[in-house]
Amino acid sequence: MANDSGFMERNYFLLRRLHSLTGILPIGVFLIAHLTTNSSLAWGGLALRGKHSELNTLEGGQAYFYHEVEWINSNVPHLLLIEITLWLSIAFHSVLGVYYARTGKNNTQRYAYQDNKRYKWQRISGYVGVLFIFYHVATLRWQWTFLVPGGAEWNHHFSVSTLAAALRGSYDSITFAGFVVSLFYFVGITLLVFHFANGLWTAAITWGLTVSEQAQKRWGMVCTALGAGLMLAAWSALGAAVMTDPVEARALEEKLIVEAHGEQHLLEAKEKYPGPAPTVGEEDIADK
Amino acid sequence: MSNTATTPATNSATAKQGRTVRFRILRCDGPGKPSYWSEFDVQPELNANVISCLKQIAEKPVMVDGKEVTPVVWDSGCLEEVCGACTMVINGKVRQSCTCLIDDYAPRDGDTITLEPMSKFPVVRDLWVDRERLFHNLKRVKAWVPIDNTYSLGPGPKESPESQQTHYKLSECMSCGCCLEACPQFTIEEDESKWNNAFIGAHAISQARLFNNHETGKQLKGERLDELAGPGGVADCGNAQNCVKVCPKEIPLTESIGAMGRATTIHKIASFFSGKK
Repeated sequence: MANDSGFMERNYFLLRRLHSLTGILPIGVFLIAHLTTNSSLAWGGLALRGKHSELNTLEGGQAYFYHEVEWINSNVPHLLLIEITLWLSIAFHSVLGVYYARTGKNNTQRYAYQDNKRYKWQRISGYVGVLFIFYHVATLRWQWTFLVPGGAEWNHHFSVSTLAAALRGSYDSITFAGFVVSLFYFVGITLLVFHFANGLWTAAITWGLTVSEQAQKRWGMVCTALGAGLMLAAWSALGAAVMTDPVEARALEEKLIVEAHGEQHLLEAKEKYPGPAPTVGEEDIADK
Repeated sequence: MSNTATTPATNSATAKQGRTVRFRILRCDGPGKPSYWSEFDVQPELNANVISCLKQIAEKPVMVDGKEVTPVVWDSGCLEEVCGACTMVINGKVRQSCTCLIDDYAPRDGDTITLEPMSKFPVVRDLWVDRERLFHNLKRVKAWVPIDNTYSLGPGPKESPESQQTHYKLSECMSCGCCLEACPQFTIEEDESKWNNAFIGAHAISQARLFNNHETGKQLKGERLDELAGPGGVADCGNAQNCVKVCPKEIPLTESIGAMGRATTIHKIASFFSGKK
């Protein structure tokens, strides 16, 4: 009976299911891996206890995170292909998601049920999430430094210090713009973790995995537990990153580079990525 | 379940007799005309409901400011909550007006009850709406048992007691429109040419489940699933789950949505590998 004229209509079922699928694979699976890795900034120090007794907990976390990022950037095969797949999946999920979201009309004012509120927040978190992911990838991956207060450029050789500087707004102390960026991160990651956990719950109904009310409740508990765990990982990662002193982290990173690859490697890395802190020092000397 | 969510606690025992209840009604003189609020005072009869109060207003259509107006128009049929015709939005929530007791909604002198027509269907006049799209959507999923023929087909296949149990609950649907009114994904569409691609609604999804599980209704299973897997089908559902909470018959609509989600998934995968289209 349906009118099958347009592209969206002819491929309705496939597009709907692909929209649902991409949210889980690859985006959701990547989110789990990404937040687990990033949260090592908070708990990595505990994992390294005994191995690097000279490092305190915060420094231990930085060292752990540094090694994780180095490992990903040197050992994961076809990294760019993985990244492009992710970017395309996120773009697809976002464009369709906004298109679908615009077909509904929130009514939580009249029907203030918890499920109905989650319907509304799934859409709000989608809208804000798209903006956040774009800013996050553009600044920390595509190096659009004009969008970073303080202009810090993230690179994987100095993953901790450049991350902290980009979030704090400068290499010195937290600036107001840095506070705004950190706040945006807090809102963005919170909404996106919710979006994933709630999306996982609704996807199970969409695909027909959960049919009975009891099954939907049980799966809801699984999604809530996963969401709570990811939320904890996301918040601890952000907290540890904002608390990191970029200058101290840079010194630690340089030490770790020398330990792992030798002086020559550090000199090459420094030449390519001087980083503001040492550069300021060199300029001071040159001026004198 | 649904009643506790939409109805205040019973006040029949404590409600003051001889009190005045104010009715605030969203009126409309005809299709395409603007809506406006009118207020009427009513002294409800013993055990009155919204319909009996509307009848009192019709007898004496004088607003609170003393101005006499045309009587308020509403739609109703059975007056025992099985036909669905008198569905309207009462105090902000959709329900049947015939079973809406004044003692529950306005137990004190001077209490106000707000009446609005459903917002997802075009208004014919005042509280009367045209629910044609609701029935159109039932036709989309062929919500019937195909038995038309020129000769006797003999007795139909046997139904198991288990499936009868499931069917009975689903068959209680009275096409009232509550699930559609409360649904954030089902929006008003006055252009009939767009109905076939707009969200079909929980009632039709649940009826498709009923007839797909019916031993004779099964004959049209594929056609129903094709419709539900198409534009405006079950995948449009955003899982706000308001439908199941406002359903006056407590039909497990969200379970029907899950069941039809599963059926369309399997149907589409099967069609991909063995279908001709």
